[in-house]
Amino acid sequence: MLRKKVLPVNDYTTVGKSVMRIDGLQKTTGETKYAGDIALPGALCLKVLRSKIAHGLVKNIEICEAMKVPGVVQIFTHADVPGINGYGIIVKDQPMLTDKVRFKGDAVALIAAEDEVSAEKAMALIKVTYEELPPLYDVLDAMKEDAPAIHEKGNILGIYKIKKGDAESALQCADVVIARKYTTQRIEHLYIETEAGVAYMDNDMLVIKAGTQNPHYDRRDVARVLGLPLNKVRIMQTPTGGGFGGKLDISVQCFLGLAALKLGRPVRMVYDRETSFIASGKRHPFYIDFTTAADKQGKLVAVKVRIIGDTGAYGSYGPATLNRGAVHATGPYEVPNVDIESYCVYTNNPFSGAMRGFGTPQMAFATESQMDLVANAVGISPVDIRRRNILKEGSLTATQQQLNSSIGIGKTIEAAWEKALQVMPGLGDENK
Amino acid sequence: MAEFHLETTVNGKSIVKNIDPSMRLLDFLRNVLHLTGTKEGCGEGECGACSVILDGELVDSCLVMAPQAHGKEVITIEGLAESGEIAPYQQAFMEVGAVQCGYCTPGMILAARVLLNNNPKPSKKEITRAISGNMCRCTGYTKIIQGVQTAASLKEAKDQQNVDIEFENLAEMDASRHAAKEGVTRE
Repeated sequence: MLRKKVLPVNDYTTVGKSVMRIDGLQKTTGETKYAGDIALPGALCLKVLRSKIAHGLVKNIEICEAMKVPGVVQIFTHADVPGINGYGIIVKDQPMLTDKVRFKGDAVALIAAEDEVSAEKAMALIKVTYEELPPLYDVLDAMKEDAPAIHEKGNILGIYKIKKGDAESALQCADVVIARKYTTQRIEHLYIETEAGVAYMDNDMLVIKAGTQNPHYDRRDVARVLGLPLNKVRIMQTPTGGGFGGKLDISVQCFLGLAALKLGRPVRMVYDRETSFIASGKRHPFYIDFTTAADKQGKLVAVKVRIIGDTGAYGSYGPATLNRGAVHATGPYEVPNVDIESYCVYTNNPFSGAMRGFGTPQMAFATESQMDLVANAVGISPVDIRRRNILKEGSLTATQQQLNSSIGIGKTIEAAWEKALQVMPGLGDENK
Repeated sequence: MAEFHLETTVNGKSIVKNIDPSMRLLDFLRNVLHLTGTKEGCGEGECGACSVILDGELVDSCLVMAPQAHGKEVITIEGLAESGEIAPYQQAFMEVGAVQCGYCTPGMILAARVLLNNNPKPSKKEITRAISGNMCRCTGYTKIIQGVQTAASLKEAKDQQNVDIEFENLAEMDASRHAAKEGVTRE
C-alpha cells in the first residue's frame, strides 16, 4: 500500500493558516444569492395556515371560500399528501400537513397563489373545525400514566441509561453529597436569514433550492412524503444565513416540493420572522435532578443524574440530544460510579431539535454548578476541584471510553486560570 | 388603487416608477429593482439586515415606505460595489474574518461606511455604537469591530495617497486560493 508522506504543518496550503473564505467576496458585495433572493419567473407564492390550538383533531377543513379569492391557484391539506405523511431526522413523527394538531403552529393547509396578498386573503377564509384535546405543556404532566397520548406510542419517546460501578453505595458512604435540581429554558436559534426556498420541475426531476444545513436528509424526507423515488428529488443548499442546528430540520422543503410537483409551476416560499419563531425547532428545555458525591479531598466518587428533556410536539433531534445529555452529564471529569437516566418526552410545546451542542450546554450548566458546590463543601477552590477530577490521558469516561490522546481540557483550565489572574488581580490571593 | 409616482436616485441612477404607495422601501429595492443585496431579517427594525443609506443616513429599509425616498438618494450595498468604494471594506472584512454566514454583512458594511464618512478615526466605542443597530448571530462582533478598524486605516491610506491603491493582498489571496484548488485537483 502506498502511504502519503506526512508533511509538516507549514507545507499544507490551509492547515494552520488563515485563509480567505471562498464565498467571502460575494458576501461583501451583496452578490450572494440566498434562497429568498432567487427569482424564478412566474413563481407562485406559498403560505401555510398554522393551527391556533395546541392539541386537537382536525375534523374538517373548508376551503371553498378561500379558493374563490382571485389569484389563488390551489390549497392543499393532509388529504393531498401523496406519500407517507411523516418526516423527521430520527423518528418520522412530524406530518407535513397534519390531521392531528400537536402544537400551536402545526401546519394544517398550504396555499399556493399568484402573489402574497391573495395567499393571505385566502388564508383568512379557510375554516378549520377541530375536536380539541387537553394540551400538555409540562413534561412531568406528559409523563403521567393517565396523560393523553400526544403520539400513538405514548409521550415518552426514549429513555437513555448509563450505569457504571455502584453509584448508590458510593453515595451512601461519601463524605460530601450535593443534591440539586436545575432547569434550563427553551431557546430560539434566531439565525438572521429566515427559512426560505424555491422549487421547480426539471422534466420529471423535482428541484428544491433551500436554506438548509441538511440537504441529504431533506432529500430523503421530501421523497418520502411526496412518494417519489430518491433519484427524482434534487436538493440544493443555498448559501445559508445562519443555522446553528436550527436548519437541520425540514422547514419549507416539503411544502415547496408538493406544490411544484402537483402544479408543475415554479414556487417560492419565504418565512417571515413570526412564522420562523412559531414553526422552527428550539433548544430542548432540560429538567435535571443532579446528585454528586465526593470524598474529603474533593475527588468525585459518584454522580446520580435524572434528566427530562422537553422535545415538544415532535422528536426531531430529541433522541440524540437526550442521549448526548446523558453521555456528557459527568462533564469533563472522571467519575468512577455513575447512574444516569435521561428521558425524551413529548409535550404540546413547539418542537425541540438540534442547537449548538446537542444537550451538552444544558448539562454543563448543571455539572459545573455542582462542581462549585462540592468545592465549597470540601473547602477547596473551584479551580482545585476541577484539577483533581479533570479527564486526562488514560481516563475512563462515564461510558467507559478510555481517552488515549488529545485531552486538552486540563491545559485549558490552567490557561483560563492564568488569564483570570491577569484580568482579576487579587483573585489568587483569596482563592488559590 | 391610487399609485404613487416615485422619483428617486438609487446608487446614482435616477429611477422613475409608479408604485403601490403602501410598499416598503425594502420591497421596492428587492422586488422592483432586484437589488437583493439588501436583506430582510426581522421586518421590524430590530436586526439591521435591511440597512440602506438614505440621503447620507443609515436607515432600516423595512421601516421606510418607498414614497419616503421620493426626491432622495438611496445607496445600497450594490452601489458601493459598483463605485469601487467597497474595496477597503472587502479587504478589511475578509482579512480579519468578519464575514461568516454573510447575511448581516451588507448592512454592517453600510453602517461602517456611514460611520467612517462622518468620523474617519472612530474609537472602538464609537464603532460599537455605530453598528449597534445591526445584528450578527455568527461572529460575536469582535471580528466585525476589527474589520471596521482595519477598513478605517485602509481608507485613510487610500485618501492620503489620493490614488487608487492596489489591493494586493486581495489579489494575492485570490491567486493562492486558485493555486490551492488546482493543487487539490492534481492530488
